[in-house]
Amino acid sequence: MENKIKITSFENGIVIKISGELDSSKVKEYRDSIHYYMRTLGPSYLVWDFSCLTFLDSSGVGLILGRYNEIERINGKMGLIGLNSYSRKILGISGLFSLMREYRSIKEFISEERIYL
Amino acid sequence: MINEMELKFKATLANELLARQSIVAFIAPLNPTFDEIGEIKTIISEAVSNAIIHGYHFDASKDVYLKAAIYEDYIEIIVKDFGVGIEDIKKAKEAHYTTRPDLERAGMGLTIIETLSDDFSLKSVPGMGCKLVIKKNYKSLKVQSE
Repeated sequence: MENKIKITSFENGIVIKISGELDSSKVKEYRDSIHYYMRTLGPSYLVWDFSCLTFLDSSGVGLILGRYNEIERINGKMGLIGLNSYSRKILGISGLFSLMREYRSIKEFISEERIYL
Repeated sequence: MINEMELKFKATLANELLARQSIVAFIAPLNPTFDEIGEIKTIISEAVSNAIIHGYHFDASKDVYLKAAIYEDYIEIIVKDFGVGIEDIKKAKEAHYTTRPDLERAGMGLTIIETLSDDFSLKSVPGMGCKLVIKKNYKSLKVQSE
């Protein structure tokens, strides 16, 4: 699977879909893309879609935590969708579920967080 | 022991991929599951990036050594460097502890390795380097006979 990032917007949030391997060689490029969207759209909500993710390590966890701190600063909210048992395990070990939770879909995130236009 | 391999490569993060893929190819005859492959790749990545970032401070002229062996019911992985070593291993193993917060890497490397492996040892002599020995059981798998 090709390693890539795809960012789409919804209401006042963005969905960051990372496919393939998320390793240290990709982190800087991905952070720059996410920052570009955060700057231009000013989202309050950030959702990671890991449904096509095949590899994750602590550099990827660092990428998530770094953005968490930024979105937290503006009282925004972060969520995770599309986790498989492998990515759930790595994120769990890293303690991420004490900061954010997993949703079944972007629709569930929107309805649970009650995001209105 | 059923099979064994050894690899030496330069201390650059680009070689994380080489290290991961070599191990994946090496254990392929065991028919590992998606989760088992993922976990082993993550272990390798954390161990190799520790050697590169902390052992050698990104000095690409230095070498990282990766060794793997397949036994009857477990895989042994050894990652070795001759870098600066670790002064305080107990502290290094603490979750979220990092000497390089600037790198935005979570400080979770050793915690991840420890949790994902069935047995794990870290030995280091400050100024001499570092040796990580990781054992990972494989229960669902059978080595295919010749």
